[in-house]
Amino acid sequence: MAKSEELYNAILEGNAKRAHAATEAALAAGVPPMDLIAGSMVPAMDEVGRLFEAEEYFVPELLLAGRAMKSALELLRPLMTASGEKLATRIVIGTVKGDLHDIGKNIVGSMLEGSGFEVIDLGTDVSPEKFVAAVKEREPQVVCMSALLTVTMPAMKTTIEALTNAGVRTNVKVLIGGAPVTSQYAKEIGADGYSESASGAVGLVRNLIAAA
Amino acid sequence: MTGRDRVLAVLNRQASDRLPCMPITMMFAADVLGVPYGQYARDHRVMADAQLKTAEMFGLDYVSTISDPAREAADLGAKIKWYDDQPPAIIEEDALFTDKKLLAGFKAPDLFSAGRMEDRIRGVELLRRRAGRDLLVEGWVEGPCAEAADLRGINHLMTDFSDDPAFIQDIFEFTVELATRFAAAQIEAGADIIGIGDAAASLVGPRIYNEFVWPWEKKLVDSIHANGGRVRLHICGNTRRIVEPMGRLGCEMVDIDFPVPMEQARAQAGPRQTLAGNMDPVRGLRNGSPETILQSLEELRQQAGAQWIVAAGCEVVRDTPHDNLHAMVTFAQTHTALNPAGSTAGLDGKEEIP
Repeated sequence: MAKSEELYNAILEGNAKRAHAATEAALAAGVPPMDLIAGSMVPAMDEVGRLFEAEEYFVPELLLAGRAMKSALELLRPLMTASGEKLATRIVIGTVKGDLHDIGKNIVGSMLEGSGFEVIDLGTDVSPEKFVAAVKEREPQVVCMSALLTVTMPAMKTTIEALTNAGVRTNVKVLIGGAPVTSQYAKEIGADGYSESASGAVGLVRNLIAAA
Repeated sequence: MTGRDRVLAVLNRQASDRLPCMPITMMFAADVLGVPYGQYARDHRVMADAQLKTAEMFGLDYVSTISDPAREAADLGAKIKWYDDQPPAIIEEDALFTDKKLLAGFKAPDLFSAGRMEDRIRGVELLRRRAGRDLLVEGWVEGPCAEAADLRGINHLMTDFSDDPAFIQDIFEFTVELATRFAAAQIEAGADIIGIGDAAASLVGPRIYNEFVWPWEKKLVDSIHANGGRVRLHICGNTRRIVEPMGRLGCEMVDIDFPVPMEQARAQAGPRQTLAGNMDPVRGLRNGSPETILQSLEELRQQAGAQWIVAAGCEVVRDTPHDNLHAMVTFAQTHTALNPAGSTAGLDGKEEIP
């Protein structure tokens, strides 16, 4: 797998300009976009996740790395669309209705994107109806829901019920996360998984997709 | 001893009759009174009723005016989304300083402009009047990192540390100046202690915390002290890597949220720092039973040492069974700290507390 050390290092350092330039250089040298994703971006974001778990990186470093990764991805996306290449897994992510907190959701989204998944971010305060509409229109394999407040956690349950009532629950795996959320709560409301960390969420998606 | 006397004795490292109990209650307190949280956050009279009823019903040692992070931001003109029965939230995509240039020359409003800051000051005044000397009265301000996140948008602020460190200094200066004035007004109104909520500080890691956040938190703590107040520092989240510098701020009381082992907090903050906490509010206090709660609190007591106040790591969750909070208070009512201040053993088992 062709790898750009420069892109890998730029993402680790959170340097968006350098990541952009490295991607341009690699493309000019003929490296295929998918090889850059698999060979440089995914390993870099895996390492970012490892450093976060090890408490060597914190939220600022995660957001900078995510920004650098996105600056590279912006160059790759149009090329992939033009050549008909697609990322294998599509994920819809959002903070549930009544909750405006998004930093955790953004970090998870960024880590998933950097791990080679297509991520559709619905933003914050996302109603069950919006989740259902996104599942119908975008046909993702995974739905990720976030809540920071105990008072908004019940919206995770109502969203899962809405997916069931709309007849699309079995089309997707539903993962939940957020400070007050527990694996016990995930079981209670019929979610397919829970993670307490962003890199844990990436591992969870990989396992669920592999098992599907 | 009254609740107020008990807490002050511990904060002053003097003998107390038993452990003080100071869990944060907000939505839980509104539910105890039977009012929607929107009313609690908007009207200090409702808040005072709820706080006093909760303190009386459960035997807590204090009442507090903490409600949500949007008091200062609302008065500054930030866009707030109100809910009927949950805390108001700041709309980040329309954050006040989305454009950083707006900070220069921005004038903070008068505290007494009939806004949300005045409502809290009136709340302190009312609680002081109604609680007398029976309960400790707590005021509240947002810390520099939390308020900067409220005004700039937390996602932007997190990258500003790298992109524009000069702006960080400017916005922290602005927030600390405002917090100093807001705290002084609450001290004047009768607050025994000022809580500094600096939640966003737990996200930045030790390098940024030490370089950027700590010096401004220190300035705020020193200013509150200069104005005759005491300080409770509350940083939500995982503060494992910054608990040592938190212990060097000189706060009378440092809250420890549940992700930090109490044993580690004690080791790093030192034996003289009064610590509060840190039962997991969801997994421990809400989902547990009176038996498991008593057991967890005894484990915490063993780890916390002499200077300890019983509390959850963060806000008591609104649907916590009443029996569970009763169990927490019962534990406090029936226990003293290990080697408490005033005992012959002293803080570290070697010296008498002066």
